[in-house]
Amino acid sequence: MAASVTGLLKPWTPRVLLVRWSRYNPYYLEPEPRKEVYHIPETELTPEQKEERELKSVRPIKAATNSVTSSVFNDPVLSKFVNMMMKDGDKIIAKGIITQTLENMKRKQVEKYHKAPEVKKAEIECNPYVIFHQALENCKPVIGLASIQKGGKFYQVPIPLTDNRRRFLAMKWMITECRDNKHRRTLMYEKLSQELLAAFSKEGNVVKRKHELHKMAESNRAYAHYRWW
Amino acid sequence: MKCSNIVTQMQMLLLSTYFLFSPERRTANMAASGGRTVGSFLWKCGNCCFNFNTVSSNLTRQVLSRQLCVSAVLHRKNLAAAGPEKFSEEFIKKQVEEFNIGKRHLANMMGEDPETFTQGDINRSIAYLFPSGLFDKKAKPLMKHPDEVFPKQRAVQWGADGRPFHFLFYTGKQSYYSLMHDTFTKALAVEKHQDRLRGKDLFTQDAKQISLVGSRWLLKEELEELLVETISEHDYARFIQLMERLLSLPYCSVEEDFVQRYRRQLEIQSSKQQVQPLQYDQHGVAYSTGDGRRKTAMGTVLLRDSGSGSISINGTNYVHYFPVLQDREQLMFPLHFMEVLGRFDMQCSVSGGGHSSQAGALRLAISRAMLSFLSEGQVETMRQAGLLTPDPRIKERKKPGQEGARRKFTWKKR
Repeated sequence: MAASVTGLLKPWTPRVLLVRWSRYNPYYLEPEPRKEVYHIPETELTPEQKEERELKSVRPIKAATNSVTSSVFNDPVLSKFVNMMMKDGDKIIAKGIITQTLENMKRKQVEKYHKAPEVKKAEIECNPYVIFHQALENCKPVIGLASIQKGGKFYQVPIPLTDNRRRFLAMKWMITECRDNKHRRTLMYEKLSQELLAAFSKEGNVVKRKHELHKMAESNRAYAHYRWW
Repeated sequence: MKCSNIVTQMQMLLLSTYFLFSPERRTANMAASGGRTVGSFLWKCGNCCFNFNTVSSNLTRQVLSRQLCVSAVLHRKNLAAAGPEKFSEEFIKKQVEEFNIGKRHLANMMGEDPETFTQGDINRSIAYLFPSGLFDKKAKPLMKHPDEVFPKQRAVQWGADGRPFHFLFYTGKQSYYSLMHDTFTKALAVEKHQDRLRGKDLFTQDAKQISLVGSRWLLKEELEELLVETISEHDYARFIQLMERLLSLPYCSVEEDFVQRYRRQLEIQSSKQQVQPLQYDQHGVAYSTGDGRRKTAMGTVLLRDSGSGSISINGTNYVHYFPVLQDREQLMFPLHFMEVLGRFDMQCSVSGGGHSSQAGALRLAISRAMLSFLSEGQVETMRQAGLLTPDPRIKERKKPGQEGARRKFTWKKR
């Protein structure tokens, strides 16, 4: 009894090496690094949260990764974006570019704010984090296409997308758009800030690409029944 | 004295058997006389050896005195047919008494108090008195309670007339099948209870449910121990399935005691943390140390409760040692999480690995050092934040036939 339970607590290598495996036994749970979660008093917890807390007290927890902290500046979406921008494992450069992008966006917005008439000042958003999140939301496609083989031919079938997939597509389009379709002399942070500000106001190439995907899905509506899941 | 006699007798027996099996001397007369002598030797030995729990002397006498040309195959078959050794209740009781008396003698020999002599002490004393250079654990001398040495067996299942007591005896696994029948009966009883409530219009979907969170089902080995019989994996799976079915009924809390008998509590993980007691230096300032590792980096930290917020790593200031913001954030993570940012003074030393793994090692060291200053609830919160688990991720090895851990060689069509 004790042997099998302690076997679940050690760093493991599965007997058959799968493609996606981790050094943690699947018995381990994900950590929760945010402070506010632990300050909620017992009385205000829902029954599900209480059960989750009890489960967490008996299960081992994974270690928090390098990029995760309990500070207010820790943003999981931004961290994901930094990782996707990263080339050859050089996170310092990627993080530097993102910081410069946010600074650049703030500068542009503040300039616009000071130049705008009194009436329009309230509508101008200066917080770069808010702009980033809103721009990403505007780039996320709602429906996607999958290539399904039926009767020897491949059809583009509209399928629903999970949240993770939508977020991934939005970030990927943003990065490829900035890398490929801009003037080569502009620096990356300049390109990114231009594209993000455009996406924030629902203009720009990335949002156009999203609309094109939606139009393709709409035009292929007839094949929707080819999806079997 | 008797033992040494037996040893020499056994040696002579072995010699004589060798002698008997040599081809030149195999004649009928020699064989017959040899057989008789072997038989008589073994009969004497058999009576002495009975105390050492060997197979019954009669059987050995029959086998060896019957014939010399019995081949090894038949010999093995006869022993197997006798079945597992049966120990009677009085025998086990006698063994228990002997064990207890022996335990007291051992305690006296070692000069310790017989009342508080634990199994650990017994093991230590035996290892001291009978040092063994053997590697196989099962070959070393042991002194354990008879319940651990002799396997648990069941009392005889049938009466004087040969008729079995239990109606499921002829299934072969009577306890298991009777357990399954009991569980199903309970499920039917719960359903009947539900129907009665429905008849009186008192049925509600949100009846009190049994809390299953901190416990697990009995393992197959534990169930076998409970039932005192062996069951197969399939049987075990069916049992768990039936229990889950019982738990799926809304009013299963009626049978909570029955269900809890087959569940074991899981131990609380935070109790496994080793918290070092707080130390005080000559000025009365509290301090504690901690160490941590991540990939190949090893770090140690001396945390002092002095009230400034200075951090020095390998003699240099932490801002100069970690120019990257992410690494400094990792150092601050445990302090910021417990809201003690300016309270501690840290002297860290770290070696090995890269900048990221050094920061991770120091983070773990700081978290461990902080445990001495925190309460139980705070230790649990830190554990749930992922600060106290050492990160097991290492560089994945390169595999043969591939260029790296995952990258394959360039595919060439021909």
